[in-house]
Amino acid sequence: MSNAAAARQSQEVRPSLAVDLCGLTLASPVVLLSGCVGFGEEYTRVAGFDNRDAGAICLKGTTLEPRLGNPPHRVHETPCGMLNSIGLQNPGSREVIEGILPALDFAETRFFANIAGATLGEYAELARRFDDSPVDAIEINISCPNVEEGGLIFGNDPVMSARVVEVCRRATAKPLFTKLSPNQTDVAENARRCIEAGTDGLAVVNTFVGMAIDVETGRPVIGAVRAGLSGPAIKPLALHLVYQVHKVAAPHGVPIIGQGGVASTEDAIEFLLAGASAVGIGTALFYDPLVCRKVNEGLAEWLVRRGAGGVAETAQSVRAAAAGGGGGRTG
Amino acid sequence: MSRAHRGTIFLEEAEVIENDRRPAGQHVLRMRSPAVAARAEPGSFVHLRCGASLAMRRPMSVMRADRAEGWFDLLFKEVGAGTGLLARCGRGDRLSVLGPIGRGFSPSPERPRRLLLGGGVGIPPIVFLAEHLAASRPVVLMGSEVPFPFDLRPSSIPEAGLPAGAALGCLEAAGVPSRTASRAGLPGCFDGLVTDLARGWLGVRSSRQRVELFACGPEPMLRAVAELGREFGVPSQLALEEHMACGTGGCAGCNVLVRTPAGPAMKRVCVDGPVFDGASVFGAATP
Repeated sequence: MSNAAAARQSQEVRPSLAVDLCGLTLASPVVLLSGCVGFGEEYTRVAGFDNRDAGAICLKGTTLEPRLGNPPHRVHETPCGMLNSIGLQNPGSREVIEGILPALDFAETRFFANIAGATLGEYAELARRFDDSPVDAIEINISCPNVEEGGLIFGNDPVMSARVVEVCRRATAKPLFTKLSPNQTDVAENARRCIEAGTDGLAVVNTFVGMAIDVETGRPVIGAVRAGLSGPAIKPLALHLVYQVHKVAAPHGVPIIGQGGVASTEDAIEFLLAGASAVGIGTALFYDPLVCRKVNEGLAEWLVRRGAGGVAETAQSVRAAAAGGGGGRTG
Repeated sequence: MSRAHRGTIFLEEAEVIENDRRPAGQHVLRMRSPAVAARAEPGSFVHLRCGASLAMRRPMSVMRADRAEGWFDLLFKEVGAGTGLLARCGRGDRLSVLGPIGRGFSPSPERPRRLLLGGGVGIPPIVFLAEHLAASRPVVLMGSEVPFPFDLRPSSIPEAGLPAGAALGCLEAAGVPSRTASRAGLPGCFDGLVTDLARGWLGVRSSRQRVELFACGPEPMLRAVAELGREFGVPSQLALEEHMACGTGGCAGCNVLVRTPAGPAMKRVCVDGPVFDGASVFGAATP
């Protein structure tokens, strides 16, 4: 069979889920999120899990030097969600670039670095180092709630966020995503500043700051006290932030990786309709390790049902129809 | 690049064969799960989805596995939302199981005198290890603050350094000496801690270079076992527990501080453990 014939046949089996993200073609809009899948190989321990099911994989947040991270407990279940406070444990940028990246199979999926600095200079140096590495893109983590330095100090201040983006922009030509914090007054304003400063894309949104207390001991459950809330509990909050940020980002053609509690095809479609170009999955993977495959299958069915255009076109046409209809229905 | 780790953990819709209720809200859950049963080893665990309403799976040590029949047993006590859902499971129900996970116990051939200690929540992997090692006649000490989930009988296998008392019937039947300890006044059980019994046993051993300790249980017990190992110059292998999210090594949520030759490190209980050298844990300062 010719390549063209084979392509046609696979087209009949399943429509392409490919999306364009800052010039990168992702085989699926499903992106596995930083902090949930280690450095790209951990989940392949699960039989049936395949990195190819993800359009991209965001690697664990990486700092210039190694970090041990926070003391236990680091995770705790909450109603429809979980708290985590890992504290950016990682082996440092040198080990990631020299020891870990060479062992990844970049033919399987796109790998994005996720960088976290304590100072502007560290962010710039990290962007430089990963610019000279095989990663497909760099995600700036200015929103980790679980470290004392850096993190939210940058992420919750639009001016500081923009300065981080500026110094990273000067340091790399790779696609640059900025992962926004929800723990601030005006996320859309922060997004606007980051776009002006040169970010190519936005990741919306990181975890919400929270805590839990053990009523028997009276002590906080999480070793570092403060933690980030993720999972289905935050989905409506994250969805609304994507919706808001999209209004700011769309005129500039800046794509959004929508994320926060996505656990199903329906969730993913909601984020696409709110304006995301790709959809991140994290916490759901912990209880459903094959969730990417299920969401891909569901999205393919959605495309067929909606006329089998591409993901972006389908989302756009559903949005347009909904806007034209003037009501809450989407078709 | 090595891909040996790939496809080593299996996701199965396991079918409940039996939910056997034991005293004090304890249950032995037998599940049909051939891929897990074929590969489970003493110390390995499964990550169980107890119900669709819960955002996190629950890590549970395997207590027994039958490769030929394709089942494994879990022992749990109803304490919270997850075990509450498990407790209501019945024959034919299906639960998503991820496993087997983790590096289990690895007894040293140079140390054939093996003392096994299980306390409360840590009893299951010690039962698995004891039955696995039965031919080499380990000595087993079990502690519980609620009635034991097994039949007890007066010990019939004497063991130097241990008082007579209630033993686990299933182990006695396999020729494995055991004793039980409790501070809850359980009939026949030693009135104290398993580590008190262990101290007596270690105290009368003349050839401690042939002894190795294996333990699973609450953290204070494991700390005490590590300390006993240091005191008597005997190595210990401890199965740790920690809150856990992914169970695959991906999230670093279950990490604990471990001493390594290269300095302190935060190791994953799920895939770097759950069994660690007792000399490497509990002792270094937290980061």
